Amino acid sequence: MAFVVPAFTQQSLETNFRTTGAAVTAVFEPQRAVIQLSSAVIYNGRNEIAYGTVISADGYVLTKASEVEGVGKIDVRVDKELFKDAKVVMTDTRWDVALLKIDATDLTPVVFAPDSKLPRGTWVVVNGVTSRTNRRVMAGIISADNREILPEGGAVLGVTLKETKKGLAVEEVSKDSGAEKSGLKKGDIITTIDGKPVKEVAALGKLLSKMKSGSDVKVAILRDGKKDELDVKLSARGDIFREATRNDEMSGNFSNRRSGFPRVIQHDILGASITMGGPVLDLEGRAVGMNIARANRAETFAIPVEELRELAEGMIKQVVK
Amino acid sequence: MKKPLAYFLIAAVCLAPLSAFPVNAKKAPESRADLITMQDALLAAIPKAQAATVCIDLDDGSGSGVIVSEDGLVMTAAHVSTGVGKDVTVIMADGTKLKAETLGLDSETDAALIQITEKLPEGKPFPAVEINKTDDTKLGDWIFSLGHSGGFDKERGAVSRIGRLVRVANTTLQTDGALIGGDSGGPLFDMDGRLIGIHSRVGTVVGQNMHVPVKVFTDNWDRMLKSEFIGEGPFVKKPEIGKGFLGLATKTAKGGIEVTKLGKKSPAEEAGIKEGDLIRTLNGEKLDSREKLQSILAELAAGDKITFEITRDGKDETINLKLGER
Repeated sequence: MAFVVPAFTQQSLETNFRTTGAAVTAVFEPQRAVIQLSSAVIYNGRNEIAYGTVISADGYVLTKASEVEGVGKIDVRVDKELFKDAKVVMTDTRWDVALLKIDATDLTPVVFAPDSKLPRGTWVVVNGVTSRTNRRVMAGIISADNREILPEGGAVLGVTLKETKKGLAVEEVSKDSGAEKSGLKKGDIITTIDGKPVKEVAALGKLLSKMKSGSDVKVAILRDGKKDELDVKLSARGDIFREATRNDEMSGNFSNRRSGFPRVIQHDILGASITMGGPVLDLEGRAVGMNIARANRAETFAIPVEELRELAEGMIKQVVK
Repeated sequence: MKKPLAYFLIAAVCLAPLSAFPVNAKKAPESRADLITMQDALLAAIPKAQAATVCIDLDDGSGSGVIVSEDGLVMTAAHVSTGVGKDVTVIMADGTKLKAETLGLDSETDAALIQITEKLPEGKPFPAVEINKTDDTKLGDWIFSLGHSGGFDKERGAVSRIGRLVRVANTTLQTDGALIGGDSGGPLFDMDGRLIGIHSRVGTVVGQNMHVPVKVFTDNWDRMLKSEFIGEGPFVKKPEIGKGFLGLATKTAKGGIEVTKLGKKSPAEEAGIKEGDLIRTLNGEKLDSREKLQSILAELAAGDKITFEITRDGKDETINLKLGER
């Protein structure tokens, strides 16, 4: 019997047999078959930009909104077929989810698991690498308790302000922030937030600290002496004013938006940020969630199935209405 | 009567190298049944492992550790404990913060012990994990890791990850799970929930993690329990002799030396020494001059514990303190 392994000689396990290796992932073929049909691949031209979750036979697909936002032309592959010119028909900024519509008729939507009450150590399977014809899978386990992910560093408008005699003056508007999208401009004087007067930067920060990123606030302003009111979507400070930590530096390709989610399940499968949006399956091949953020090199977040189902049904209902 | 005994021994020898965990005997899991076996093992082992996985709070960051005895002995990485005789805070899974002191460490392999010095409410035993002392882990074995990734988060808890042993060397185990800063010092388990290593460092590539095998700990156990600083680095720099910091100025006086000035937040001030105190002895040796104090300090290093006998307002007192780093 050749069982003796001398501990002092260094040996290495072949890539094929490592956790993400083909010899190991082969056992997940039943789940892979589901991924093949129900996990979409989102492209901008030739570039894969995200994955998606097929939620209806007639072409509705959910994906991570911030990965497809502002992308001119979106194509979607489901199974082997490429559907050109997908439309972003709706977005939910709270969850960072976009609803796409493709011109399809008999897709296989994911089957939702009854709940996301999964103890740590439960197997989960996601779309790993993809080719024109084939989806490959990666597997891992539930890593932590389901919970809310607060906006990193609190909620912000996305502006830098200066206290002046006239009030809080906008000095700079951050790129891709809710402030920029609302049309807030340098020189605007912010007078009230949701009707509450704000005169100091600290008071504004305190007010926003109680709010959630992705929610809207009414910002009353003075521009060239004229009153105006803008709806500004709050962002997470960490997403707008990013200060890379040492953990970030060694985390490779993490999601731009990775905080401010009402509730997530957490697993240990490390896909690149472009692999967010796809379904997270249990061993039965049912969706227990949808990948929404690669937070760092050790943590990936997914929207739990309860909320995912609500989002899917709610968004389709609103669009079809 | 001899025969059955001999038979038993042979059987034991043959079985010993095979892990108790059946899927490890296969090159890869082959069926759904294998996956369920793995999942069941994880579901059974993780809650106990999680209860024993602590966060070690340092002034400038945090690491992890694991409790291995009911009286609160913690195994961690040397680069987390960073020294011998240091005061640190250990955070339990439920957020309870407890005082602890670093014991010995092996600065060459990154192994260290910490003793929790506070008791749990009602003197309850600490949740502890079993150390796998059989040395039967082998290449390809399935493992799971725990740790307080990126720092303590009560809502989240210690993060659990699966992986395989992808490299086995004498003083290092390598796995392919997902580790990050804050996990350092945290536990690596076999599928039976027995401790096989302590997280040491991660590679530049995701899924490349190095761990200190438990054998390094057990080989140096008694020395580390005795608060010995083993080796010359690189994981911890040995405190330099003569670099211990006290933080007071004195003048020679009758019967000892008199404190004339104290450094703000210096070890001397924090220990309660006051201006005007007459220091009579240091570690039992009479101080008859400033030079005598300096010559004793020249032999000591940061972290060393010292005892002063002083006189204040005619009353004698004993003051214990730990030298700081200059």
